Parts: sequence; C-alpha cells; structure tokens
Amino acid sequence: MLAVETRNLTKDYDIKKEGKRAHLRAVDGLDLAIEKSEIYSLLGPNGSGKTTTSRLLAGILRPSVGGARILGLDVVDDASQVRSIVGLLTETPALYERLTVRQNLTFIANLYDVPKEEIKPRIEELIDLFDLPEKIDLPAGSLSKGMRQKVAIARSMIHDPPVIFLDEPTASLAPESAKVVRDQILKLSKLEKRTFFLCTHNLFEAERLSTRVGIINHGKLISEGTPNQLRDLKKDETTTVFKFAVWNDVIKNFFQERNYDVLDINPERKSISIFIKEIEKETPTIIDELIKQNLPMFEVRHEYPTLERVYLELVMSENLPRNQEEEES
Amino acid sequence: MKWRRIWALVKKDLMEFTKSKYVLSAIIGIPLLFAVLIPVTTLLPIAKINPAEFEGDDTFPSFINNLFASSVDDWASLNMQAQTLIMMAYLMFVMVLMLPIIIPAVTASETIVGEKERKTMEAILASPITETEIVFAKIISSLIPSFFATFIAATGFTIITDILVYPFIGQILFPDFLSLIFVLVFGPMISIISVELMIMISTKVKSVRDSYQIGSLVVLPLIFLILAGMLSFFFNSIATLIGGVAVMVVIIVILFKLATNIFNREKAIIKMT
Ligand SMILES: Nc1ncnc2c1ncn2[C@@H]1O[C@H](COP(=O)(O)OP(=O)(O)O)[C@@H](O)[C@H]1O
Ligand SMILES: [Mg+2]
Repeated sequence: MLAVETRNLTKDYDIKKEGKRAHLRAVDGLDLAIEKSEIYSLLGPNGSGKTTTSRLLAGILRPSVGGARILGLDVVDDASQVRSIVGLLTETPALYERLTVRQNLTFIANLYDVPKEEIKPRIEELIDLFDLPEKIDLPAGSLSKGMRQKVAIARSMIHDPPVIFLDEPTASLAPESAKVVRDQILKLSKLEKRTFFLCTHNLFEAERLSTRVGIINHGKLISEGTPNQLRDLKKDETTTVFKFAVWNDVIKNFFQERNYDVLDINPERKSISIFIKEIEKETPTIIDELIKQNLPMFEVRHEYPTLERVYLELVMSENLPRNQEEEES
Repeated sequence: MKWRRIWALVKKDLMEFTKSKYVLSAIIGIPLLFAVLIPVTTLLPIAKINPAEFEGDDTFPSFINNLFASSVDDWASLNMQAQTLIMMAYLMFVMVLMLPIIIPAVTASETIVGEKERKTMEAILASPITETEIVFAKIISSLIPSFFATFIAATGFTIITDILVYPFIGQILFPDFLSLIFVLVFGPMISIISVELMIMISTKVKSVRDSYQIGSLVVLPLIFLILAGMLSFFFNSIATLIGGVAVMVVIIVILFKLATNIFNREKAIIKMT
C-alpha cells in the first residue's frame, strides 16, 4: 500500500476576474505515488500549488477533479479517518499566543482523541525532540518565530501520525534549528517508518533530506525523481575545474590553443573551468598533457549541476502561456 | 458528536477569553455599566423629583394600568411617582436584556473570525473534529460569557433598582416572575440566536472588525424581537409565554441547522487566505 497516491488531482478556486466569476486552477492533474517511509519534497515557486496540494492531501480541501488516497483511505470518502492519520504543519504556524505551549499542544491532542494518560508524556517527548523543554509553560506568544515554528511542527505530530505533511517546515528557522528539524525528520522516517511530504522552496534542504523530489510549476508536476536523478538531467552540463600552484599565461594559452570550451578563467584563484563533452574519456588526456608540459597543476575537480541549477532551468524554461485561468462557461 | 472534542474547544476558548483584556472588559465592564448606569441615570432622577409635582388627577391610560395591575400587587393604590418608577424600571430592564445580544456578538466574533484572522483555525480544521462539533462548541463558548454577563448585570440592576424603588412601594420589585423568566429563559435563548447568526456572518467575513460591523446590523432586528416578546409578556398569559418560548426554540433549531450547513471546512479555509 502506498502512503500517498493521487490520480489526476486537480483543484480549482472560484475567483473574481474583472468582475466575472472565473476559476483558477491551483493544482493541475497531479499523479503522485509515494511509498511508506519516504521523504518526498514538493519543490516549486510561490503560487505553484504546494499549499493547496498539502491541504487536499490532508483532507481539508476537496479535489475539483481526480482524487487521492492516504494509506489506502480516500481523502473525500474517508476524510475523517484521513485527518486522524495524517499530521499537517500549516503554512502559517499559528499558535494560540495567550496560551502556553503545553496548553496549545494539549488542546490539539484532545481534538485528535489522543488517550488522556498519553498526552502529557507525548508532549514532553516532542518538546524534548525539538529542544524546547524550558519553554513548555510559557505563553506561545512570548516565543521567537523559530521556536513557535518548532512547536507547530511538534503539534502536527502530537497524535503520532504515520503520514506527515509539512508546509515549509524550516522557512523561518535559524540554521541550527533547521538542522534539529531536519535531523528529526530523518530519524522519524528511518527509525519509525513515517512518511514525510514536505513543501518547500529550499533546494538545499530538499537535496539533503529527500528520497524523492517533485518539481511543481503552475500546479503541474514538471519533473520527479531522486535528487541524483534530477541532477543527472543536466549531467551533460558538468564543468571541469583545474587548479594550479602558480598562475601564468602559458596555462591560459594551453587551453585556448586546444580550443577547449573555456567557461571561466580566474587568475586570482589560479583556476580555469572548462566544459568537456565526454568527461570520462577526455579528462585523463588533459591531465597527461598538463603534466607533460610541466604545468604546476594540483587539483582537478568536476562540478556537477546542483539541484538548484536543474530546478531553476526547469522552472524558468517553462514558458508555457499562463493558461490556468479559464472563464466559467 | 464527540463531547471530548467539543469540550476541548470550549475550554480552550474560555481560557483565551480569560486572558484577553478586551473580551474580559466587554464581559465584565459592559454589564457593570448597564447595571449601575441605567438605574442611576433613569430611576434616580425620577425618585429625586419633588412628590408635589406628581399631584393631580392625571392617570396613565387604562391599558397601562391593566398591564401593571396584573403583575404588581396594589398597583392602583400606589401614587403616580411610584407608578412612573415601576414603569421605568421595567422598561430599563429591557436594556439589560440587550446584553445577551451584544456579548455573544463580541465573543462569537473573537472566537470564530478571530481564529480565521489569526489562522489558528486551520489546525482545528485539519483535525478529525466535525463541522457540527465546531459549530456546537463555538455556540457554547460564546454563550457562557454571555450568561455570566447577563447574570451580573441583572443582579446589579435588581439590587440598585430595589434600593431606589423600595421607599416608594414598600416592597422589592425584582426579581419577580417576569424578570426571572427574562433572565433565565428569554435571555439565554436570545443569546443562542445571536450566536447562531454571528456564526453565519463569520463564514462570510475575514476580519473581526467586519464581523462586529455586520454583527451590529443583526443586533437591531433582535432588539425588536425582544421588545415584541416583552410586550407579549405584559399581556401575561401562560399561553403566550409558552408560545413565545416555542417559537424561539424553533428559530434556534432552524438557525443551528443553517449554521452547520453554511459552516464547512473548505469555505473556512478558502476564506481564510
Ligand atoms: N483561497 C484561495 N482562493 C483563491 N485562490 C487561491 C487561494 N489559495 C491559493 N490560491 C491560488 O492558488 C495558487 C496556488 O497557491 P498555493 O497552493 O498557496 O501555492 P504555494 O503554496 O506553492 O505558494 C496561487 O495562484 C494562489 O494565488
Ligand atoms: Mg504555500
């Protein structure tokens, strides 16, 4: 059984456009299949439909077309059960500011029917997990933004859900807090086989954390795969950097005379980057020649395209006409 | 319906109320103001008038005499000043009964629209609590402060009025059957109607301020309802009383159905963002 499965998942919002009623297609025909204990990241620019997707999957919005199942339960027909087995970190991690952290968490635990005697230990466990023990009896409003975010993440897991949706979990976190959160996500997915679905535009995080990444733009999934698979999409754009102990024009001439595709010459760093089509075959040849010429080379390295580069190229090359708004017929 | 979830939401709302200076001042300040200010500004001046000015052969129209004769002992034997005081006291009691309308408008706006405005509603909507349970819980949590406020105001009003009126009629005026019916039966029912209307309004607005504004438009028709009820009680038959209560119960049930139909997760979320 899949943790998350969607078929042609689509959501239209009713909007007013020039005084007329119209639809805005926020999510457009999404087909996802996410295995248990995966960490799946939905990556996309603002307004691409990430929040809408997580709301659809958490059973608080109804799909306009298509459908979705969470651990086999239909998000429309079994909505109430779906809500009780998923956790959702909402995009705005709003807490009741006048209530303490403990009161906030106890309230939500009661809504999820967490057994009375389990609430207290559960709260303490989560608070420990996210490194907040001394804040537990303070009003939530007195916490920093990052701490509130961590409380909200703890809140989304209060009922021990097997599937957890986190909408921009580390957006407002300082690097050290973000690391705590990432570590916990990894731990919970590995040790406890929980499934995570993250919405993010943090590429670094997606790359570090995810088993798979889906790139969404204008509500459509435009690419999907493991971070390595996605990077491999632009494998032929790998650059090769040569670094030297001393710099002189002989080095420059060496590459220019041989008509290499020079991308960057940096005398200050004593390095030159070039583009080679077949890196496996050509790199050793170049190294041999450099040695023969007695050029003081001490480092060769390949720079593979980052996920960021792949992402930006995919999203920006999408020059599709913005056909998402359709007049109501 | 799961009572545990309803109670959790009610408890959370009440905790928030007790920590909000604004709500606290509304549910304690307004009733005290009503209880003290109204009798002091309306009854005290009448009590202070020189009794000589009430002398003469004037009487109230006979329908007023009949009305009060049936609820106040020895009405006919009282002098004009005492009769005026009693009449005024009953009229002002209606003002106290505005509280069950006003307070729920404040509390319901705070708890429902406030949760949307501050986006705390989404975590509730993500949980398995049903829409009906949410509406039911919000009705209860908006009502409790209103009962409390009405009770404070009615008690204060009763004490001050009795102190002012006793020298003239030689007995205490309130609480009597009518005022008890109002505070204990009519008041709560009006509160429920007010909350239900506020819940329906809350599905349409995004900010607490808008909610107050539209809410104040709802308050007016409700005041007419109370006045109509008050008048019908003056005719003082058990049949009209039961009839009045029955009509209100029907209104309450219909509004509850409407409110739970209108309130749904999807709209609550979409209107939030
Ligand atoms: N409640 C709403 N009503 C109308 N349009 C909305 C609503 N919520 C989101 N949208 C629109 O849907 C699209 C997707 O939004 P969203 O899911 O929030 O994207 P993301 O989370 O990726 O930034 C955007 O164009 C946004 O303006
Ligand atoms: Mg979003």
